[in-house]
Amino acid sequence: MRRVTTAVVLFAAVGLALALAGVASSSKQSATAPTGGAKASATTLTIWVGWSARELKEFKKVVAEYDKKNSNVDVKVVGSIDDTKIVASLRAGQTADVISSFTSQNVGVFCKRGAWADLGPLLKQDKVDLNQFPASTRYYTEYKGYRCALPLLADVYGFYYNKKLFRAAGLTGPPKTLAQLATYAKKLTKKKADGSLDVVGYAPTFGFYQNTAGAYQPLVGAKYFDGSGKSALGKDANWSRLLRWQKGLIDYYGHGKLVKWQTGAGDEFSASHAFERGKLAMMMDGEWRVAFIAAEHPELEYGTAPMPVMGAGTYGAGYINGTIIGIPERGKNREEAWKLVKYLTTNDHALATFSNGIRNVPSTRTAARSKELKPDKNFAVFTKIFTHPKSGTIPITPLGAAHLDTFQSFLAKWQSGKASDLAGGLKEVDKQIDAKMKRAGGGGPP
Amino acid sequence: MWRRRGTVLLFLSPWIVGFSVFFGYPLVMSAYLSFTSYDLLSSPRWIGLGNYRYLFREDPEIWTAVRNTLWLVAVLVPLQVLFAFGVATMLARAKQGAGFFRTVFYLPALVPPVAATLGFVYLLNPATGPVNTILDKLGIDGPLWFNDPTWSKPSLTLLGLWGIGNIMVIFLAAILDVPRHLTESAQLDGAGPLRRLRWVTLPTVSPVILFSVVIGVIAAMQYFTQAYVAAAVAAGQASQAGSVSTLELGYPEGSTMFYPILLYYNGFRFFQMGYASAMAMLMLGVAFALTLLILVNSRRWVHYQGAAR
Amino acid sequence: MRRRRFLLAVADHSLLIAAAALFLAPVVFILLTALMTNEQALSARLWPDPFQWSNFTEVFHQAPLWRWALNSFIYSSLATLGLLLSSIPVAYAFSRLRWRGRDAVFLVVLVTLMLPPQVTVVPLYVMWAKLDLVGSLWPLIIPNWFGDAFAIFLLRQFFLTIPEEYLDAARVDGCGELRILSTVVLRLAKPAIAAVALFSVLYTWNDFFLPLLYLSDNPDNWVASIGLSQFRSLHQVQWNLVMAATLLVMLPVIVLFFLAQKAFVEGVTLTGVKG
Repeated sequence: MRRVTTAVVLFAAVGLALALAGVASSSKQSATAPTGGAKASATTLTIWVGWSARELKEFKKVVAEYDKKNSNVDVKVVGSIDDTKIVASLRAGQTADVISSFTSQNVGVFCKRGAWADLGPLLKQDKVDLNQFPASTRYYTEYKGYRCALPLLADVYGFYYNKKLFRAAGLTGPPKTLAQLATYAKKLTKKKADGSLDVVGYAPTFGFYQNTAGAYQPLVGAKYFDGSGKSALGKDANWSRLLRWQKGLIDYYGHGKLVKWQTGAGDEFSASHAFERGKLAMMMDGEWRVAFIAAEHPELEYGTAPMPVMGAGTYGAGYINGTIIGIPERGKNREEAWKLVKYLTTNDHALATFSNGIRNVPSTRTAARSKELKPDKNFAVFTKIFTHPKSGTIPITPLGAAHLDTFQSFLAKWQSGKASDLAGGLKEVDKQIDAKMKRAGGGGPP
Repeated sequence: MWRRRGTVLLFLSPWIVGFSVFFGYPLVMSAYLSFTSYDLLSSPRWIGLGNYRYLFREDPEIWTAVRNTLWLVAVLVPLQVLFAFGVATMLARAKQGAGFFRTVFYLPALVPPVAATLGFVYLLNPATGPVNTILDKLGIDGPLWFNDPTWSKPSLTLLGLWGIGNIMVIFLAAILDVPRHLTESAQLDGAGPLRRLRWVTLPTVSPVILFSVVIGVIAAMQYFTQAYVAAAVAAGQASQAGSVSTLELGYPEGSTMFYPILLYYNGFRFFQMGYASAMAMLMLGVAFALTLLILVNSRRWVHYQGAAR
Repeated sequence: MRRRRFLLAVADHSLLIAAAALFLAPVVFILLTALMTNEQALSARLWPDPFQWSNFTEVFHQAPLWRWALNSFIYSSLATLGLLLSSIPVAYAFSRLRWRGRDAVFLVVLVTLMLPPQVTVVPLYVMWAKLDLVGSLWPLIIPNWFGDAFAIFLLRQFFLTIPEEYLDAARVDGCGELRILSTVVLRLAKPAIAAVALFSVLYTWNDFFLPLLYLSDNPDNWVASIGLSQFRSLHQVQWNLVMAATLLVMLPVIVLFFLAQKAFVEGVTLTGVKG
């Protein structure tokens, strides 16, 4: 007994000492604390970004250049910040001076008054020309006239295919329609001796890698909302066509077998990615994959093209979204934060360097034409898709992308076969989305 | 008298403050917020019964959440109690190595739930996990465990059964506490082990069974960590996406959407705090009703030795 | 008769052995995975080759495990200290002091035990946000300094078993209630207090929900449970390292158990049997 009591007392005493020393200092926002080191009286700016590992290193290189040019600021970069942290930071707890998010769909959430600062007056004051940003990027960085973000490189989704596997199956060029895609997929699939999947031609499961309903929407020309702002998933026939195509291909594999294969498919941002290892013959992915393959599997023989289309979709178009960057209302050092944001989003050199580094599409017209951009055959396909007039993004709503979660829940049941009434199911989803929109106090997209 | 009352108040003061600040106040505030729309950025906006209307008529996820949580109460809790009791009975009869066995069965209950869940999700990975690999060698096509909507809750149950150490030890102590003269006289009367269990051990141990059932139900109503972590990891495994922009609640197909998780999402991801408060009020009512139900029913099968309640 | 008894005993033991093996299996597999290379962990292999013991040190390079452990330690120790200091007097008042309405108010204490934390979590979060304490460990620690229903319940049950004579003797000597509490009662109640302390340490070390709520956006203050759940997404699911980290997070609790076995088991039985 004595041993335990002594232990408990010691435990508590040490804890108290540590707490008084450490907790008090680390609990509050330390954004303004000078970091000491090279610049004595510099303001420390904290910037939160979603990138990690190799991509984060590239971003830090760009920021380091800014640091050198501006001796009065010291920029601290924090990576791997996901949207959960960003949304939470809008209201309480720690926040940064500048925040960047991968989820452009959430701009409806970020552009609420009190969340991210209004960049309108700052843009006017510094006479920044908004037309240098392509229309689509301007769309997903503001909500209902309130501009709270600027685009920082864009993401474009296209088609990747393994040339070696194509040759082995006797296929030449990439498929142009979804029907062709399904045929090719069946030809390229290989099974193991026990019947389980070894190489999958194309895995159209929603929720796997970058397969989201949003990414397929431009390929079939389907509309999310009708003229009056009500959800139109059940009314627009293009959605049904897409979902039936998808289900047909999943049933060919067997949903259970496909899921089993997926769980062994390798993490999306690691070197064991199924496509990079040759276990997935074709896939839809963003333009950043070019850089990943170059870094992790340079021996891979692959090609890129626009995604195949169907119905009202136009070949050559694709889904766009991008990284957005803004200034949280609760942040400090507004002036310096704005200077950094302006540099990152409009300086051609910064944009070109960063684009070369992580292979994302430059987000201003001048940067897109910059001589500093390193040419790459596979990457060039994506810049073309980016400028295609029919390429588009998800409509911005006050819910962010939350209304897509409802759609996703239905899709999960649809693709596994649990929900077989497509028309009825979509109608139900429309009803639920409309109810959610009403509850959020806003109807439909602007 | 005054001195006495002063002393009592002094001694009770921490709890009085604690109760008001961390129980009374939040309860009242929760009730108030449940009639508002509140996202923490601006002040609460009164909407009357709006949240409750959405809760009972329009929310597509709520009844799945309620059903899943009730599944835990109806399946997980009884299984846990039965399993713990079974293991305790075996342990009570063991002669050699009782201490060793007791440690083996108790230790998993101490493991942090996050760690245990991560371990289980990895072990039950349909394609590469050890369990399916072994099943494969035995010629059985292993299920998709955490990635299959019919197997996800049973997988969580397996995890729950692994951690019954606490209840098991309580049962063990209670079984060992059964007065010897009762078991011995029953034995002398010719009762075999099964009859002794039914007529002597069980009735004597019934207060402890009641206790574990109540604790189990309370825990089932608050069930959060294991489901949250398991769904996140399993979904991450199947989609392998680093930052998927659409999340699938209750992966797979809503089967792990339990009530506390939905409440968390509504309140702290979507920041619909008024609606989350309405959900909390409903939860309070159900928790109360369930506990009352069990306690009232307990009079029928619980025997207390000595002093009556 | 003898033979049947023997066969029964063997049957019992074999079931026990089988069950014990099943219970140990997960830990064994986790350990094996923790010793694999990354590729082996991602494949269907069961046995590592070679045994990569370096994983356990590699984990510390990849994630700030020490920092997480430190935060967990601060949370556990301060919460437990506060819990003991505040719950003991309250439990004493409910058991050894006689006053009107005592049992009724105790029922209220029991009622708070039944309450799921999710019911009060929203307004509490708002309160801590307004006090600008979200992101720190204080919202987790402070409530424990105002009494904890479970600790009060346990301690009260135990205090009830202390014979009145000891207390009366002290009262006759002119001791005030506070003196009685700190001298007589504390010494007699050491096992119960130890058990309560152990439970509190265990509960706070394993706590996930509250840290998830309050610490998510401040990685500097992450406790072990949050860190472990995020470890997998930060570093692209290197399962061998995740399993190694899992074992390391389990370790302190297991060590504590072996040091204080008796108190643990006594405490657990205190809750169930005396309750």
